[in-house]
Amino acid sequence: MPIKNRFNAEPTSAVWSLILKRTGYGLRYFVQFLRVYPGYAAGYVVVLTVALVAAVAPVIAPYSPVNADASVYLQPPTLAHVLGTDSTGMDVFSRVIFAPRIDLAIAVIGTLVSSIVGSSIGAWVGYFQSTTGIRSFSSNAIMRAADVLQAFPVFVFAIALVAVFGQSINSLVLAIAFVNIPIYLRLMRSQVLRIRDMRYVEAAYILGVPDWVIIGRHIVPNSIAPVLAQLSVNIGWSILLTAGLSFVGAGVRAPTPEWGSMIAMGFPNVMTGQWWPSVFPGLALAITVFGFALIGGSIEFLADPRRRRTLASGKPPLPTPA
Amino acid sequence: MLRSSLQGIKVESMNHRNRTNGLSRRAVIKSAAAAAAYSLLPKFGTAESFAAEATHTLVVAAPATPQSLDHEFDVSLGTIDTVGALYDNLLEYEKIPDPQVPDALREDIAVHSDQPYNLNLKGKLAEKWEISSDGSVARFFLRPGVKSNWGNELTADDVKWTWDRKLHLTGLGPFQAGVLNITQEDQIQVEGRYVVSFHVPKPNPLLLKQMVNLSNPVYDSVKCEQVVTKDDPWAHKFLENNSAGFGPYVVSQLVRGQQAVFKARSDYYRGKPYMDTVIFKEVPTSATRLSLLQGGSVDIAQFLQPLEYTTLKKVSGVSVDAVKASFAVWVELNAKMKPFDNLKVRQAMNYALPREEILKTVFQDLADKQTGCIPDIYPDFTDKFWTYDADLDKAKSLLAEAGFKDGFKSTLSYDAGNPVQEPIAILFQTALRKIGVEIVLNKVPAATFYDFVTKREQPLIFYLDSPWVPDPGYSTQLYFNSKSYVDYSNYANSEVDDLIKSGLQTLDPTVRNETYTKAQQIVMNEAPWVFIA
Repeated sequence: MPIKNRFNAEPTSAVWSLILKRTGYGLRYFVQFLRVYPGYAAGYVVVLTVALVAAVAPVIAPYSPVNADASVYLQPPTLAHVLGTDSTGMDVFSRVIFAPRIDLAIAVIGTLVSSIVGSSIGAWVGYFQSTTGIRSFSSNAIMRAADVLQAFPVFVFAIALVAVFGQSINSLVLAIAFVNIPIYLRLMRSQVLRIRDMRYVEAAYILGVPDWVIIGRHIVPNSIAPVLAQLSVNIGWSILLTAGLSFVGAGVRAPTPEWGSMIAMGFPNVMTGQWWPSVFPGLALAITVFGFALIGGSIEFLADPRRRRTLASGKPPLPTPA
Repeated sequence: MLRSSLQGIKVESMNHRNRTNGLSRRAVIKSAAAAAAYSLLPKFGTAESFAAEATHTLVVAAPATPQSLDHEFDVSLGTIDTVGALYDNLLEYEKIPDPQVPDALREDIAVHSDQPYNLNLKGKLAEKWEISSDGSVARFFLRPGVKSNWGNELTADDVKWTWDRKLHLTGLGPFQAGVLNITQEDQIQVEGRYVVSFHVPKPNPLLLKQMVNLSNPVYDSVKCEQVVTKDDPWAHKFLENNSAGFGPYVVSQLVRGQQAVFKARSDYYRGKPYMDTVIFKEVPTSATRLSLLQGGSVDIAQFLQPLEYTTLKKVSGVSVDAVKASFAVWVELNAKMKPFDNLKVRQAMNYALPREEILKTVFQDLADKQTGCIPDIYPDFTDKFWTYDADLDKAKSLLAEAGFKDGFKSTLSYDAGNPVQEPIAILFQTALRKIGVEIVLNKVPAATFYDFVTKREQPLIFYLDSPWVPDPGYSTQLYFNSKSYVDYSNYANSEVDDLIKSGLQTLDPTVRNETYTKAQQIVMNEAPWVFIA
């Protein structure tokens, strides 16, 4: 394997020490960044807290999130039910803390699937763009297919997908993955189009490195940063989409605890003065999505070498771009 | 049975405009009720504020505008409301004060042995009527000089055309004629300009009741025949968007999904209605309808939710009256699907339903327990076979006897458009979980829901309905006759079929009472539904 040896010249231990060293730099940058911009830290705190609460929900929830109890229906927040109860007597607090188990799982898995699939296809399409033959044809065909997918309003498209696959959590994951694929596809493709003309790629090509190795080893690692930044924003957005689908009845089945469906179930009660079954899940949803948006913003910041350098130099921070 | 709660409760609220013009609330209500020609809202209570009585315009916030004005092919509630205003029937029931709310008038549907044919009826388009001694011929003498909204005089030909139309079309008509055993055109005969007769092979207790049924109004055949085409010989396309009848109102505008406007007819044979203009505005969300009512932008808000009525009670100037209605909600237990083909499982499901909790929380005590298989306000109803008060131990032991000691799994489908079904389903699911039965709740859009109901392929599905003819024979024929198109639970018992049939062929009230009491006993024991409210 001469080619592999040529590109893997450093011994394994040296690679590891390099990684550790770089991670150390990274962490330092990160801490420095959060010090200068403490607002972004809130995003990490929120998301970590939500994830933690979701993980321990079965331990800390005072009641079952799916058992109705007519004797305590629509009770305002009290000591026994800190966030009140809904119209069937289910405890709003228990449901609010159980909900991210569903919402986060759907959004994270859906987004990861779409990013992996979307970026892989994007890398392929970008690499073979403007070549000739079947590979060029297929990359063009894929781009036009993405155009068609993106022509549909995302929400309507997701409802249609859930209708086709049937109402289940798996369908929601699939729907979210599917509607997000074109985003990652385009993002990756635009990066690859830039990277593929770099000298080191051309060098690898001339040396006879197979296309898939060039894509996997030289192009993707250098194009992945914007995709990672997009991931976080996209997870927050997917939580909203999940909740939206559940709100219109196309998401998870009642009474599965899920923020969107809780808001929908509690909505009729808002008009009659019982705001708590709807407002608390709404707040939880808003805060979580905000948390992911902040993380997305911070990644975008950290991925910008110019800002990173300014930060590392200890100079006053650059103003946040509009 | 649901009181009007589900379909609306009469709520009267006075806003400042009522007070300033010096009209008393009751006066407004009464004149409106009389003049609006029991009219756009004949049966369903509603919330009223009479924002615009000064101009004699009534604005109604409805869940939907009528989709079609031809009732033959559209049974949606918007259409039903409309049909009552555009068309008149041959007969009507006398009105009596409601026992619970004396200011509200309701139809007197009881058995009156002292009255002809045991019914307390009065003429509407028919001046008088008679049934032959053997019960096989009903003859109606029409009121002369009654004009349609197209200016044509009511004649016996109009009545015949109306019923011939039923026999030729494939909507509601064949059923409406079928319950009278009318299958041939020659069973409806024109005997003079104003005399028409119906000939049935056997005595039929529904013969007069069907002439009151909102589904059987009389069309202006002269106008309809002017607009028929070869492809549309029964004027369906015309009647979808227009009316040709003898009722108190005409359509002046129909923009589906937005609003429908009706104008009063000054040449209506019983006098011009009090309300000159009635506007139906489509407001799909009940919370929005409530806020429009409270803000005084609409006079009537239809179909509010029970909790919304409870909230309205606390608003000053608003009174909430609830009257009993024939609507009921239940869960169909599909007798052709496992495990509901097992009688004991069906009974266990009934014992497991937390009925009292549902009445209290979901219906806010505005509905009554459904203790029988026909509406409790209908003649011959009995609750003496009611045994299904919630008893989880009994439910569990019945399941064990049926071979489901560890329970089973199933799916309960409900209508996304009906806000009371979801909380009922959740309370039921929690109760069933305690006896080992796991049900998945399947929320489906309204259109899919009705498709599910009519296909009868769901193990468990909600249903909400009212048999429109206040008769035990009509009600049981609809839901429990194994050949009925509305037997959505696939219930089949030949003895019940025979009882229903024999009760529909006798006019003797005592025999009918015995027959339908027996039928109710069997049905209640065999529990084809989970009886709710």
